[in-house]
Amino acid sequence: MAAPVARVSLKERGMNRSIKIITAVAAAAAVSWAVTACGDGNNGGGTSANGQATKTLTANDTFDLKTADPARSFEFTGGTVVHQLYQTVLGFKGNSVKDLIPQLCSYTISKDNKTVTLTLDGTHHFSDGSPVTVDDIVFSFKRLQGIKGNPSFMLDGVDVEKVDDKTVKLVSKTPNPQLPYILPNTSLGIVNSKQVKAHGGTEGTDDKAEQWLDGHSEGSGPYELESYNAQSQVVFKANPHYDGPKPTYNRVVLQNVDASTQKVNVQAGTAQLAYSLGPDQVKDLDKSKASVLTDESTETIFMWFNMDPQYGKEVSNPTFIQGIRHAIDYSKLLDLAGTGAIQPGGMVPVSFLGGLKSDPANSYDLAKAKQLISQSGYSGQTISVLYSEDVSAGSAQMGDIVQSVQAQLKAVGVNLKLNPQPSSTSLDSFRSGKMQAGIAYWGADYPDPADYLVFTPDQSLAMRAQWTTARGKKDAKLAAAASAANGDAARSAAYIAMQKQMNIDGPFIPLFQPASITVAATSLKDVVPNPVLGISFGDIH
Amino acid sequence: MAPAAGGSIIDPAVRRRYGHPLLRYILIRLGLSILLIWGVTLVTFILSNLVPANPAAAALGERAAADPQVVAEFNRKYGFDKPLPVQYGRYLVRLLHLDLGTSTQTHNPVMTDLRTAFPATAELALGALIVSTVLGVLLGLVAALRHRRIADQVIRVISLIGISTPTFWLALVIYFVFFYKLGWFPGSGRLSTDFSPPPDRTGFYTIDALLAGQWQVFANAVSHLVLPSSVLVLYTVGLLARFSRTSVLDVLGNEYVVAARAKGLPGRTVVLRYVLRGALLPILTVVGLTFGSLLSGAVLTETIFAWNGIGQYAFKASTTLDLQAIMGVGVLVGVTYITINFIVDLLYGVIDPRVRTR
Repeated sequence: MAAPVARVSLKERGMNRSIKIITAVAAAAAVSWAVTACGDGNNGGGTSANGQATKTLTANDTFDLKTADPARSFEFTGGTVVHQLYQTVLGFKGNSVKDLIPQLCSYTISKDNKTVTLTLDGTHHFSDGSPVTVDDIVFSFKRLQGIKGNPSFMLDGVDVEKVDDKTVKLVSKTPNPQLPYILPNTSLGIVNSKQVKAHGGTEGTDDKAEQWLDGHSEGSGPYELESYNAQSQVVFKANPHYDGPKPTYNRVVLQNVDASTQKVNVQAGTAQLAYSLGPDQVKDLDKSKASVLTDESTETIFMWFNMDPQYGKEVSNPTFIQGIRHAIDYSKLLDLAGTGAIQPGGMVPVSFLGGLKSDPANSYDLAKAKQLISQSGYSGQTISVLYSEDVSAGSAQMGDIVQSVQAQLKAVGVNLKLNPQPSSTSLDSFRSGKMQAGIAYWGADYPDPADYLVFTPDQSLAMRAQWTTARGKKDAKLAAAASAANGDAARSAAYIAMQKQMNIDGPFIPLFQPASITVAATSLKDVVPNPVLGISFGDIH
Repeated sequence: MAPAAGGSIIDPAVRRRYGHPLLRYILIRLGLSILLIWGVTLVTFILSNLVPANPAAAALGERAAADPQVVAEFNRKYGFDKPLPVQYGRYLVRLLHLDLGTSTQTHNPVMTDLRTAFPATAELALGALIVSTVLGVLLGLVAALRHRRIADQVIRVISLIGISTPTFWLALVIYFVFFYKLGWFPGSGRLSTDFSPPPDRTGFYTIDALLAGQWQVFANAVSHLVLPSSVLVLYTVGLLARFSRTSVLDVLGNEYVVAARAKGLPGRTVVLRYVLRGALLPILTVVGLTFGSLLSGAVLTETIFAWNGIGQYAFKASTTLDLQAIMGVGVLVGVTYITINFIVDLLYGVIDPRVRTR
């Protein structure tokens, strides 16, 4: 029979000594562990491990990084990385998305908007010291088109022709007035064609230069790659051959850090820039240590309804959708999205050419909403609303926004059944064109209203809501007119007219544009976030 | 039957016919391990492809996904244009060559990604495991030896707090207090931004820095390990203390312990040679399983401390439908668990002579 445990006596001296010895060893180990750890607790800065003097800028971002190859990069972090490494033929002035400035080239556009002529402007050099040539521009553009990657669509239908050693012509088959506004996109960064070709680069789908470009930048931007890890951090060092002003920070570390710790890092001084903080997180930021830069984002959050009665059922009636436009209290959604969020009048962001600031068609009017919904014949049927549950807009998760809309529509007798899905599956469901309704988001590919023609009848986004020309004849005509309009004033007027018509009979209700927030340490000067290009680290002082 | 020479109780004739039992055991376990890994690949592949979405739609942008040419090129590049059985067959063939495919998210070979992520997590987990094993076993031993006394009660409460405190909360509090408020330890990442990683040999920054003679980098890497390791330690130490206590209590009641004491052996000898050794087998199992779970389940700690390890990689892969990466992580975690269990089983034999002769 086993002896009872109580019989074990700890008064035995030997046993007591054992415990004491073990305890002492463990305590010593713990203390030495802590002392070793404390050895270099502070993240100072100033010199690198090899003793060279450096001035390091640290930026925190939540990575969605896939590649540093400009012709393949299409994500936010990728754009930030590529923007520092590669120059484009044209750029935007400061935080404007309308004012174009020469970067590598100056440009002219023909009266019929079909030909853009680029003239190599001044002398520019890649990080290996070789000059940027017209051949590099032609190769970069043709490679972008040929590899069939995410951003290849930007030069769809454009023939790239070398005219002479100073001139390139971009010829479109149809009027392409938006092309100059596409050219500053980071995906159109100019690469050193000799180096890229030497490492597997081609103008077709057999291109194999991505791996090389993920480790070695071949651009003429203010920085070159020191190291690249898509999961943890990207380190930049100053490009000695850059033709512009020497960057104040000759080394920049872009780290993948969760938003929950970015705020602490900026306040502690271990990071000087934070990209991923929401309006709620920056409310109580220590203003003596960091400042908040708020700007309009280029994202539009919208509600949509399927216009095909087979899938949309009762929601395919434009009168019903008009009623919903008046049933939503947009101010509540703006509160959810946080400081800086705005309600646009149409799908095109307000700051873009042709952006509609407001439209009475999308205004909160409960009586009008009830009347229109009743008039549409809707009688309380359940409407399934698809959305991406893992997406946030400003301070709010998409789920919060959808639930707010659900509660608001309940007040006018409209019953929404929520259909949350992860982004990986919800996008596929949306694209199927068979869902009844949903709430989604669209980020601008380039800052021109032409990017929003996809929402017009028969175009890709519209077809997800089965909005055909037969169901939106007026809209299709206005879209064609907007596409063909010439000159900024005429284009702006045409796009505004198109959006007003879309607010009458279209399936899309613009809900809000969240703010774009960047937090910068107060020690930094000249931090200018551009809504399309992000921040140029080289301009920061 | 009388024991055979050398202490073995196995008949020499039997040994000649079937080989050394330990060798036979290892061979059988290896064979089973290969079958298990194959099972892991099959289950992961089936589950990944049961998700009602296609990887092209998840990986491509809105415009690109609407272009059939781009979608076709994407599917061709990643092999999604082939029927599922062909895809699986090709995966197995590639696996034999240690090729886990290419990630649709990072565009890197999955093996390259894992080669970076796994050592990061292993370095974190190993440090945490060593500390928590020493502390956990010690606390469990003390609690058992002082059964139902104040020390026992205090240790039980501490271990309960360790187990039940939410990791993400603990990580945030530790980060805020010890990094931001007190400034005792560095914050996120594996190294401060002033340092470049040491030349890559093992992927463990501490070891690589030592091998390269970069002492400052070594000290910095160790200091960065402290806070995230502490979060993991606080959880695992509670777990191990509870198991150790129970295990030691079980052994203390055995007759051989009473006999040892009755023979007049010193208390230290009784505890270390008889009690602790007898209690080690279940503790060892828990340590093995804990290490496995630390390797695959430190997602929240990795997130808070920007420790881009295997947990973060798996999370990102699963939310972006990166099938090759999901399968790669599945295989890696499976192999890790199998290997750890295998090592634990072998250690059983080292600790307990009865296992060797079974």
